[in-house]
Amino acid sequence: MTIMKLESIRTTALAAAAAGAMLVATAASAQDYNITVWAGGSNDADIYRVEAIEMAADILEREMAILGEEVNIEVDGRIDFGSWDEFKQAVTLGVESGTGPNIVVTSHGDIAPWSSAGIIRPVEDYVDLDAWPLNDIYDNLIEISSFDGIVYGIPQDAESRPFFAWIPHMRAIGYSDEEIAALPARVQSGDYTLYDVLDDAEAMQEAGLVEPGYGFYPRVSNGPDYWQFYQSFGGEMHDSETGQLVLDTEAMTRFYQFFADAVERGVTRRNHIGTPWDQWYAEVASGQAGLWHGGTWHYARYTGREGLDDFFGNVQFSLIPSGGDGGGSNTITHPLVYLVTSQDDEDTAFIAAELIKIASEPRINTLHAILSAHLGISESQSQVDLYSGDRWAREATDRLLPYASAMPNHVGFGDYWNLMWAGLESVWAGQATPEEAVEGLQVAAQNALGDNIVIR
Amino acid sequence: MEDGKRTWHIATILGIASVPLIIMYLFLVIDTVTDTTAGSPIPDRFTFEHWRFLWQRIDGRQSIWLVTMNTFIFAASTTVLVLAISSTAAYALSRLNMPFRRFFLAGILVLHGFPTITLIIAIFLILNMIGLYNTLIGVILVKAALELPLGIWIMKGFYDSVPWEIEMAGIQDGASRFMVWRVLVLPQVAPGILALGVFSFLAGWSEYILPQVLAPNANVQVLSVYLAGLIADDLNPDFNLFKSVGLFYMVPVVIFYLFFQKHLMNIYGGGTKG
Amino acid sequence: MTQQTKLGLGFMGPAIVIVVLLFLAPVLLTGFFSFTNMSTATGISGGTYRITESVLNRLPADQVRPDVIVSLSESQFVVDEAGLEAMRAEGLDPAFIEELAERHGAEVFTSGDDLEDAMKDLDNRPRSIRVIKGAVDMFERSLRDRDFAEEAAFTAALDDAVVDLTDNERVVIVQAAYSGWTMTTSNFSRLWSTPQTGQVIINTLFYVGMTLLLFNVGFALVLAITTTFLPAGQSAFFRAIWFLPRISPSVLYVLLWKWLAWDTGFINAVLGQFGMAGRNWMLDTTANAWVFVILINGFVGASMGMIIFTSAIRAIPKPLFYAAQVDGASRWQQVRFIILPQLVWPLLFVSTYQTLSLLTSFEYILLSTEGGPGSTTEVWSLSAYQTALSNYAGNLQYGYGATMALVLVAIGVAASLLFLRLFNFKHLVSRPRIEQ
Repeated sequence: MTIMKLESIRTTALAAAAAGAMLVATAASAQDYNITVWAGGSNDADIYRVEAIEMAADILEREMAILGEEVNIEVDGRIDFGSWDEFKQAVTLGVESGTGPNIVVTSHGDIAPWSSAGIIRPVEDYVDLDAWPLNDIYDNLIEISSFDGIVYGIPQDAESRPFFAWIPHMRAIGYSDEEIAALPARVQSGDYTLYDVLDDAEAMQEAGLVEPGYGFYPRVSNGPDYWQFYQSFGGEMHDSETGQLVLDTEAMTRFYQFFADAVERGVTRRNHIGTPWDQWYAEVASGQAGLWHGGTWHYARYTGREGLDDFFGNVQFSLIPSGGDGGGSNTITHPLVYLVTSQDDEDTAFIAAELIKIASEPRINTLHAILSAHLGISESQSQVDLYSGDRWAREATDRLLPYASAMPNHVGFGDYWNLMWAGLESVWAGQATPEEAVEGLQVAAQNALGDNIVIR
Repeated sequence: MEDGKRTWHIATILGIASVPLIIMYLFLVIDTVTDTTAGSPIPDRFTFEHWRFLWQRIDGRQSIWLVTMNTFIFAASTTVLVLAISSTAAYALSRLNMPFRRFFLAGILVLHGFPTITLIIAIFLILNMIGLYNTLIGVILVKAALELPLGIWIMKGFYDSVPWEIEMAGIQDGASRFMVWRVLVLPQVAPGILALGVFSFLAGWSEYILPQVLAPNANVQVLSVYLAGLIADDLNPDFNLFKSVGLFYMVPVVIFYLFFQKHLMNIYGGGTKG
Repeated sequence: MTQQTKLGLGFMGPAIVIVVLLFLAPVLLTGFFSFTNMSTATGISGGTYRITESVLNRLPADQVRPDVIVSLSESQFVVDEAGLEAMRAEGLDPAFIEELAERHGAEVFTSGDDLEDAMKDLDNRPRSIRVIKGAVDMFERSLRDRDFAEEAAFTAALDDAVVDLTDNERVVIVQAAYSGWTMTTSNFSRLWSTPQTGQVIINTLFYVGMTLLLFNVGFALVLAITTTFLPAGQSAFFRAIWFLPRISPSVLYVLLWKWLAWDTGFINAVLGQFGMAGRNWMLDTTANAWVFVILINGFVGASMGMIIFTSAIRAIPKPLFYAAQVDGASRWQQVRFIILPQLVWPLLFVSTYQTLSLLTSFEYILLSTEGGPGSTTEVWSLSAYQTALSNYAGNLQYGYGATMALVLVAIGVAASLLFLRLFNFKHLVSRPRIEQ
């Protein structure tokens, strides 16, 4: 990137000098910018991923006008991709051919491969991270948006993947209201573990509160969520010293064993994976499941479409419990990030970065956070009425976000992830014991990743 | 072919085998005009609400008519291209003394064995090289190329069954091979062209991945993507709306089928009907 | 060149151009890709040279001396005369340049951020952060995180940065710093040594064989023959019913099957009336999953065979049937002696074509069982798609995916050659009878 920047600094410097003189001189001719924004994996409620950039463009035009520069910024947004797969292919191919978007909203996991391929620019080359509003963004989110020590993106939203319990059922198996209220703290301290979850799930089934297999009712498809359970048993995904991925065989075995136990004890269905999301949402939001885990954005679905009016009276939420010795409670956040692509010239990239910066201001970002039931990206959002007035945003932010970790930005992580999931599926379906699955995982991971992974 | 014998037992067996399909599609139609109280399997209210996409835009999506238009243009262009190219190429393969005929014919069949999805990257490189990436015309050409193996093989089958006598007579009258093909042979394979047209149109009508990946900027949202988007929204999926749009998506093809089914059933053996 | 050859070339021309350009060439390219490590991270059209943290981590400790790694890893920004001169040449504010020289002249910063901060503290700082960042770059005197498009330029800069580089070290560093794809055969060894490979091949053969036999050819034949004997109205009805799956959008079609077979689905609702416990018919056991995978694909696949067989039967001269009836031939005899002999070519075509189609099709499996439960219904094309082209974490393995596709093609070629031999392909391409 450096080379390109040097080349265009001349024009910029001149423009800036001109801008300085502009206060007394006549206006320069207007400059037009077309900024294309593509957001992947977006629901209708995520429209502010694009509209925030449009709002920012309006503000930037006004700011530039005051400085005497007349710019017109056209923002062209797209969120209607069929799925993540097509979105990612369209972005990579588009930028490679020079016809891609200027700004993308995507998973932070794309930063490693995309920066290596040269299709994104480090945002830190274009904006002042030490200045407001960027210096107000949570440090851990900025770190997640970085790769190789370089800040590539700006977090667009945050979320976290909590553990849920159906309060009436907890009450029915003997928890007092005080105990239920204290549960999140017990989970956090590691006092209430994953095996306590299985015990309680079993108790609920024995009491006939839920059907067999509904005591513990996990996510129905692959997702970042499952790495949380690996972490619960002390597993690490990445060694930041050597930059290698880490397969902790002991933690992985215990993590697989936990799900094998859940199925064995009958509190989770053997064919649970693949259950339609629709059915799953309806069941967990109506007390047909005892304990489960999900995402902070599920709140919108539970209280919206599924009609769970009294969420806080029926559902308790916490971090993911510890697995016991050597592990700890945890949660993973998987923020989406704004990235500036290598599309078009430096001038346009500066405008794009500037727009992202403005869109990250607390008030604008809060629009997205609340509408789509995500969490905020910066401290001061809790001072925005719209945010602080929302009980869910407030409590979830306090209880989860400070403890949230993230998956590593590493080029080989996707491969590792696929293999981890394949192993878990085979254990879940009863085709392999946890030991066998971890052994297979070890072989396959070394095959696929070589020196990129270290087995412990 | 009715021969006067009793056929009820054949109909019964076929009927039983078709039960899943009949139930599924019957309820599909019912679900698009009714509402069901949660928890009950039987619909209890009649409504046109799920068809609202016809007269109003669904939030965050393009107008259904625009999308339908795009899909139609895409499918129709592909069809025309496939028909034009395979009706000439297949004739050459069937009737003209060409070098490498056999090689070409076998090769084209083998090509079909390549999973299209894994070709995307290479196709991208080539489109980008010839400047057709991110254009509608590029996607149409690619789709046509992928449909050609089927087209050429089907049309070859038709030409094979046109009696040589027709052509010989034409030649004796002094017509060129081209004239013979255009005036005498082509009408003989009309049923094949119709049938192939139906298949190509169907393939184009349901294409999902190519426009999204090869022309993401060209703003050619097609029906399949529009439809998939309706249940991709995990905050608020609307299944009855999804089913209605799905049915809407099928209607043109069903009509097309009903019109052309006679010709479709003639996909094999054009000119030699007894 | 005879008139016929000219016409032939003219007629074949468009087909050859479009098929070669957009089908054959991509196939050959994909074959080539299978010998590369191409992925999202390497990009498609080439790479650049850059020393990043990942590159430094990758440098083999036994081949590159530690002090070389250390000196490569340092980033250096020196406020020297050359940089100040560059600032003047760019026409930056002289007061800003002067103040910078005065307060930080000859100072060495270990990161661009520090120098940026120093500049921001100056009284005469430019208003625009963009100008400051541009100025910072003018003082960069290290290799770290700089992008080089050409190997020569990178090597030159490398030699400037580390004076006593050995030849081997240079080669190793250049190799590690290159971000584009390189040739390799490791995809094949990876495929070979992956434990699941064998199982997936068995799954694929089972899936293709069963679907083909039971539906795409078998039931298609049954449909075509039986509807021939039905009254026109009934036969049109059944054909239309069996054509529906093919014209349904796949997402909708699979959803209908789920609606039928899931925990809360129609089958359970009906069985529930008789007091039977519900279960997930689609995913309950491996056998269930296979039954539904074959049903879902077969119901779609049957229609193509049905249409082609029906039309072939219709092409049989009617008098043959009348004659047979007069002779008192039973229906079965009519099928055996009149219909089946006429279906050799269509059978060849449908079998070959559908074998290849099934080998490469995964959409319906992806939408229904996603290869589950466990990975019991994982077939080759799905696996190629999932491991190579659908990656939650972004790094698509184009090279490895191409390798998997190549294997599929090998199977496909073998299968089609087998079919062509079985049905005597030569015979089907008869010599033209008009030679001119």
